[in-house]
Amino acid sequence: MAHEELLAGLRQAVLDCDEPRAARLAREALDTGMPALRAIDGGLVPGIQEAGRLWDEGEFFLPELVGAAGAMKAAMAVLQPALAGGGSRELGRIVIGTVQGDIHDIGKSLVATLLAANGFAVSDEGADVPVERFVTRARELDADLVCASALLTTTMVQQRTLVEALRAAGLRARVMVGGAPVTPAWAAQIGAAGFADNAVAAVAVARGLVRS
Amino acid sequence: MTAAELGARIAAGPLLLDGGLGSLLIAQGLEPGRSPVHWNLERPEAVRDAARRYARAGSDVVHTNTFGASPPKLEAAGLAGRCAEINAAAVRLAREGFDGTRCIVAGDIGPTGLHFPPMGTATHPELLAVVTEQAEALARAGADLLSIETMYDLREALAALQACRTTGLAVLTSMTFDQKKRGFFTIMGDPLVPSLQALAAAGADAVGMNCSVTAPVMLAMVREAAPAAGVPLIAQPNAGQPLATPSGVVYDADPAAFASDMAAMLQAGARLVGGCCGTDDAFIAAVRAAMAGR
Repeated sequence: MAHEELLAGLRQAVLDCDEPRAARLAREALDTGMPALRAIDGGLVPGIQEAGRLWDEGEFFLPELVGAAGAMKAAMAVLQPALAGGGSRELGRIVIGTVQGDIHDIGKSLVATLLAANGFAVSDEGADVPVERFVTRARELDADLVCASALLTTTMVQQRTLVEALRAAGLRARVMVGGAPVTPAWAAQIGAAGFADNAVAAVAVARGLVRS
Repeated sequence: MTAAELGARIAAGPLLLDGGLGSLLIAQGLEPGRSPVHWNLERPEAVRDAARRYARAGSDVVHTNTFGASPPKLEAAGLAGRCAEINAAAVRLAREGFDGTRCIVAGDIGPTGLHFPPMGTATHPELLAVVTEQAEALARAGADLLSIETMYDLREALAALQACRTTGLAVLTSMTFDQKKRGFFTIMGDPLVPSLQALAAAGADAVGMNCSVTAPVMLAMVREAAPAAGVPLIAQPNAGQPLATPSGVVYDADPAAFASDMAAMLQAGARLVGGCCGTDDAFIAAVRAAMAGR
């Protein structure tokens, strides 16, 4: 299969949420001598970006977005070992979780999956994560970024506590916040460095934050 | 209260539900982030007082403090194995709060936190079992009817409805929809009218929408859903958009504007109206006044 055809196939496999096909095409790509990076940037990333666009358009919903991320992950599992030889493509280290008292897991997991699929080293701490846990993990991993999700107006105050605690601990990690009730104004008010209102935006914001 | 009895009440005139509960409890000192179900055991007077405030504001139906009292949610709150005890306490507190008024006690049932594939690994029998445990606890404790709220996956809503119907009580079923470019959908992609019709066909005695949106958006949903739902329609919007302020989170709607939107929803065919996040007894009193003035 020609490279262009393989890339289009990878993109489509992501959009079709087809994990086996994504993994198979990734292997084929490597077998034909395509660099892993090209398969990611030319096939998987355009696929997941299109999934994000369709989400914004109201054509895709949570199951499709999760399925697309799953297909991307399956292909990445094949491509990752080939990447390791050519130098790490790790964009940055991220600690992510839903704040304490909040057990909403879906949105946060989706962000974690997309961040990992896009080349970040992600430590997903799950839901109901105490501030101290975020701080401890950020210190252990020397994290670039701590992402905190809050889905309730009653738990979003924990995001402020987190920003303050990281600062008090003297850590360099910056904070990105998200979740249904969270607004850019709230992020600015509590001193968070970044805000994203969906998983695709979160990847773009994270890229910007680790670069700057 | 059987389906027929509820039907007769609604036929006699629209029913006023209550407003948000969590925000009332937070105002009483519940730490943000802590599940309100704890207070059924720790601060019974505050839970009773919330019901009393809604009864005084004119609510016909008051919900129990059991939105997060399904077995999986209780486990997450560190209260594993205490489903029967906590749901019974909440029913008793709601009833005591009314203190002789003619309010209907609605046993509140929220999402279990279990998800079907691809989001999770839950199965229909699993969902059925956990909701049945909560529904039976509420029914045994004397809830007048059961109220399933804030469902975002039609499959879970249908499983919860099936579980609730085994109690023989009337069942309200409400889902939460967002406005997308092509119309109103749950986050899982369930469309508004077909979802409500599926719930009505599965035996819900009233169906509708709560949370996620403000009253003006919900009015648009009511206009679309009321002619098509097939059973009485429920509408419980949020107070407005949450705004972060130095003193905490506030909502940008005021009771008068809210009441005027709710009156328009009644006009458009809603039969059970109330409020969700950010609404309190002042909002409900304003809606009651608007209903009286119709």
